[in-house]
Amino acid sequence: MPPLTPDIMLPIALARLLRDGETVFHGVASPVPMVAILLAKRLHAPNLVYLNITGSIDPTPAALPASTVDPRLLQGTRSLVTLTDLFDLSARGKLDTAFLSGVQIDALGQINMSLIPGPNGDVHRPKVRLPGGAGSACIMPTAKRTLLWRTKHDPRTFVERVSFKTTGGRVDRVVTPLCVFRRIEGRLTVESIHPYSSPGEVQAQTGFALNLPPAVPITPPPTPEELAALEAVDPEKVRLIEF
Amino acid sequence: MNNKVISLAEAVATVPNGATLALGGNTLHRSPSAAVHELIRQGKKGLNLVKTAGAYDVDILCGAGVASAVTAGFIGYENVFGMAGLYRQAVEAGRVQACEHACYSVIAGLRAAAQGVPFMPVAGLTDSDVPAAQGFRPVIDPYTGQSVVAIPAITPDVAIIHVHEADTQGNARIWGTLFEDVLMVTAARRVILTTERVVDGQTFTAQPELTTIAGFMVDMVVEAPHGAWPCSCAGLYDYDAEYLAEYVACTRTAEDFQRFLRRVTR
Repeated sequence: MPPLTPDIMLPIALARLLRDGETVFHGVASPVPMVAILLAKRLHAPNLVYLNITGSIDPTPAALPASTVDPRLLQGTRSLVTLTDLFDLSARGKLDTAFLSGVQIDALGQINMSLIPGPNGDVHRPKVRLPGGAGSACIMPTAKRTLLWRTKHDPRTFVERVSFKTTGGRVDRVVTPLCVFRRIEGRLTVESIHPYSSPGEVQAQTGFALNLPPAVPITPPPTPEELAALEAVDPEKVRLIEF
Repeated sequence: MNNKVISLAEAVATVPNGATLALGGNTLHRSPSAAVHELIRQGKKGLNLVKTAGAYDVDILCGAGVASAVTAGFIGYENVFGMAGLYRQAVEAGRVQACEHACYSVIAGLRAAAQGVPFMPVAGLTDSDVPAAQGFRPVIDPYTGQSVVAIPAITPDVAIIHVHEADTQGNARIWGTLFEDVLMVTAARRVILTTERVVDGQTFTAQPELTTIAGFMVDMVVEAPHGAWPCSCAGLYDYDAEYLAEYVACTRTAEDFQRFLRRVTR
């Protein structure tokens, strides 16, 4: 068996959170969610409805693309909706799960994809201009739940408070290379720590106080079925582009 | 019948400096890149670019000094090439104003324009610093008293859309994902299509429902084979990863970028 690494644990931990029959959406720059969704469909959620920016539904790409808006994600779809249709779906409360991320993620589960303000909090002349939140400021408050993921877990990413709030919203879980956070009473709480990490490492790499209990559960290691499904879904390891 | 086919240079010459310009496509896919290169060649200035999610098009127009504002939800090369460095530098230096939207609020603004109303309420943006930063204001629903964010109409002076097939009157077909392109056509004051090929429109009559852009809303048609390059064009070609990697490498210093620009626009 290969050693357990974040690029294996992260998509598997995300896939376990998905439910059969629900509508699930990922946006641009989302290889790990793309893999997680295809993995869940193969394992325990065959009736999950897989939505993405190309407008395809339940695509079955022969080879996974590095860009998650790629025309390759049209393969196998029997119908096509528009991006507007997808945002409308979320707006009227019918999107079950959205995958989003943040350059900064804070203790309240708020994300920053926008900017680091300049002197005196200037947002119009920022110190750092980030890519922008894409659809997140509209989706995170309207989708039934949001799963955040981030392939980096360090104190610059996981901060007490974001420098600029691109959006808050209905964040349920945050999955990182080291652990799974659950949002409980509005605050991120460690739900489980991946087998190769430790409470000490998670706290050291997190910029806010975790108040870890004496015994933190360990994320169950991947099963042989999960590993085989991951290999089948992403044999070229396209997801590594995120790590 | 009105033949709307003209050259790329003639069509792009009609884009005034300072225009609000909507660009079709999304990130690395079906951008009107041939027209983008022509905008640089003609030395346009002060454009406000409108797009839900842009990459090469927005980045190079920021680097070349053509854009002065970007109205968008996301600008970047996804995970493929990372951040849009020239866009980032231009915003941080104050040369380009980032009018940050959520992708859905760009759509809402375009919908307002298409529907001829001054603003469009939008769901979401309820837990965000973006409305305050951008001056998006709430309105009160006159029926329930509830508050909702109102996005001002975004009316592009010109929309440039790259399509797979168009006839001489501008009836056009896009294969695969439409993105926001049809909405841009209805929202914009003027529409320029660049097309992989000009076809005999008579061939569209068997299945007119596949023709998603109606010619009477189109002003100009430019035949531009490979016109999305270096971005992808569904069913025809992939994005040019080799070229884009070289481009991104050349955006790190001003000298390299100027040399690169001369090559692209010669």
